[in-house]
Amino acid sequence: MSKKYSTFITVLFCVFIFGFCGWLLWDMAHPRDFSEQENRWLAQMPEPKIGRLEFPGLMNGTNGGNFFSGEFMEDFEDFVVDQFPLRDQWIHLKAQSERLLGKKENNKVYFSGDGQTLFAFFNPPAADDLQKRVGYVNSLAGNVEVPVYFSLVPDKSYVWADKLPANAPNVDDGSMNEAAKQLAGENVNFIDLYGALSGDDVFYRTDHHWTTMGAYQGYAALADGMNGSVTVLDYGPTKVSDSFYGTTWSSAGAGWVRPDEMYTWVPEGTLNVTGYPEGKPVEGTLYDLSKLEVKDKYSMFLGGNQPLCILRNPAVEGGKKLLVVRDSYTDSLAPFLGLDYGEVHLWDLRYNNMSLKQYVADNGIDQVLVLYSASNFSSDANLFKLGI
Amino acid sequence: MVFSTPYFLFLYLCVVLLVYYITPLKLRNLALLILNLIFYGWGEPVYILIMFASIGIDYTHGMLVTRCKNKGNIRGAKMAVASSVIFNLALLFFFKYWDFIAGNVNALAGFELMKVLGHPLPIGISFYTFQTMSYTIDVYRGDARTQKNIITFGTFVTLFPQLIAGPIIKYKDLDEQLESRTHTVDKFASGVQRFTVGLAKKVLLANAIGQLWDVYKATPTAQLTTLGAWLGVLAFSFQLYFDFSGYSDMAIGLGRMLGFEFLENFNYPYLSKSATEFWRRWHISLGSWFREYLYFPLGGSRVKPARMVFNLLVVWAATGIWHGASWNFLLWGMFYFVLLVVEKLFLLRRLEKLPGWLGHIYGLFLVLIGWTIFAVEDLGQLGGYLKAMFGFGAGLLDGAFLYNFFNYLPILVIAGVASTPLAANLWKKLPEKVWKVALPVVMLAGLVLATAYLVDGTYNPFLYFRF
Repeated sequence: MSKKYSTFITVLFCVFIFGFCGWLLWDMAHPRDFSEQENRWLAQMPEPKIGRLEFPGLMNGTNGGNFFSGEFMEDFEDFVVDQFPLRDQWIHLKAQSERLLGKKENNKVYFSGDGQTLFAFFNPPAADDLQKRVGYVNSLAGNVEVPVYFSLVPDKSYVWADKLPANAPNVDDGSMNEAAKQLAGENVNFIDLYGALSGDDVFYRTDHHWTTMGAYQGYAALADGMNGSVTVLDYGPTKVSDSFYGTTWSSAGAGWVRPDEMYTWVPEGTLNVTGYPEGKPVEGTLYDLSKLEVKDKYSMFLGGNQPLCILRNPAVEGGKKLLVVRDSYTDSLAPFLGLDYGEVHLWDLRYNNMSLKQYVADNGIDQVLVLYSASNFSSDANLFKLGI
Repeated sequence: MVFSTPYFLFLYLCVVLLVYYITPLKLRNLALLILNLIFYGWGEPVYILIMFASIGIDYTHGMLVTRCKNKGNIRGAKMAVASSVIFNLALLFFFKYWDFIAGNVNALAGFELMKVLGHPLPIGISFYTFQTMSYTIDVYRGDARTQKNIITFGTFVTLFPQLIAGPIIKYKDLDEQLESRTHTVDKFASGVQRFTVGLAKKVLLANAIGQLWDVYKATPTAQLTTLGAWLGVLAFSFQLYFDFSGYSDMAIGLGRMLGFEFLENFNYPYLSKSATEFWRRWHISLGSWFREYLYFPLGGSRVKPARMVFNLLVVWAATGIWHGASWNFLLWGMFYFVLLVVEKLFLLRRLEKLPGWLGHIYGLFLVLIGWTIFAVEDLGQLGGYLKAMFGFGAGLLDGAFLYNFFNYLPILVIAGVASTPLAANLWKKLPEKVWKVALPVVMLAGLVLATAYLVDGTYNPFLYFRF
């Protein structure tokens, strides 16, 4: 190798590392607060606190400050990585190169054959864990005087199994739903949604949620199971967005995927929405279109998560009252349920420590529906509150 | 700090190169010493104290040995060597083996006889205690000069490229380079290439294949299929090799950028046709350390067969337990002890008569069994894993195996080819015109892709840290 050529290689390397070093330093001096793509706050420069060095044991004693404990360095590393120039593009490049290498997954997300549909890994609970979880539903049914219905929304990987990579292991094969059906007690009315969903538009390709159309199919099965009748809408859904990138897309870093479309269906004004985001009643809407401007566009449905939300239908004055123990899938479903009931109460276990039994009695609830997506039901840590 | 992180590559390394080359020649060791200490103290600042203690104690012992020898006091010199060895081993014992022994003693006794301390393992302690130990021994043997300058000595002890994961460098191999080394652009450029190769091995191959091993490591042994178990351990073998040899490549490359020339640590180990050959090709610096400072002093092979077997037993028990404070590592050492004895006594002569491909199968088979013992730390699980490998698992294969196999097939093929000299040989055959264009392209592609994986990856454990 000639000296000239060696110089060329040396310069090339130095330009690469020093170039990005300079860019990184600039970015660190002008840090980003929030990552749209990752939908989270980014780490900022930590404040160094030297503290004292002490040895209560032999070596592991540090006191005060974040320096001798190494915490400062850890936080600084997070800061550097989070503020790294072109962070989103690097993540896309990695996902793209995994795909070129023939990988059918990236960061725990499966790609469909055409790469346009993304499936987050699904991990069902162990048998004894599931038994415990369904047990909470059973104890709710034992606690309240009104009929309790229980249903699981199938994971996308169950409904769209034909789009998955062959033999993909971390998927919903329906066995969890079957087991839950068996475990449900005599006084729990299990409604099976696993056969209810079909079609290419029932889930978002880039998100784990069901779409407005999927939610309607779910509604039809639930309404049939609870009331024996289904309201058929004589108008179609309305497209309100064609630029939705969901959470599965974020974790996959799959930059090549087309965004999803979003739809509203039940006309605004049909139902009166009262939200309780902070404990006090606030007037809400079925579809909060202002949320289409932010990354988390799914929060358009009822404006996102809140402890309690009540839909009242003026057309069914004095009608029955339904309480739904909800997760986020319910938000796009609730407008349809609202058509059949005088009141629909959406109850979120995560933000409510009140007794559910008490609430049902106090508010004259006629039916209770426990509705979770299979994956949320597998992981939610608040299900025990059903029994309180 | 580890090499395969954005802050090492784009902050620390830039600072090192800048400071090092701005500093006048005479002060470069001092500059390097300070940079080394920052590197080491980054994760566990308190453990810098171990570095200071190591430098101080080994430096003094080196001086002491020389003084005793100069006065003809061989007994004193021997005492000094013993004291240095005891210090280094005590350091290693305290941080690495105390909790392991305490756990076992307490389990036997049924009450807490020894307190479990729970100190985090200082990174690289197994490597640098061995390096400094070799210094006093070599001074005593007359193989190495005494280093009178404590800064130069400190630079040796803390030298960041190889501080935390080897290669294990003996002082005598570095002595002259510490005093004066040449810094040429040729050396730097070759260092850059070597570093990039190592980075790509670690980030693009080891980490990627490691995810496959993670799948099988997490599979309950009752659900392991035979082919799945083999695929899992194959993935681990590639991960470990590219992780560790990638690290050595990066160390050698960084060394060259700073004017040093380190010895090679790997020589295509998976081409080996026997266990004996494997240990001449795998982690060469460790094997040679144990030969020079343990096996030969015990008498080596120039003794009666029974004594030689005993010597091998000691060396392989030590090699095993050096890799980690856990029974499976001892078992792994014993596995190689038995193989090496059998091969030394009669098998090797017969193996040499076999056709080459059969030898490769024999060698690879043993290596994979060895890595199984190495990788599965819990002995109960290890039993289950080995059973599955030999057909007593949950059948031959399942859907998950098919998925994993096809999902990882391209990268397994790449890894397989990269474990042989094939690509390197092809590269050498390229006409100058071609490689002169290809080199910068390949290098930049490697750096860019590695950066993408680094930024993406919180998945970035360096396997050889625990050792």
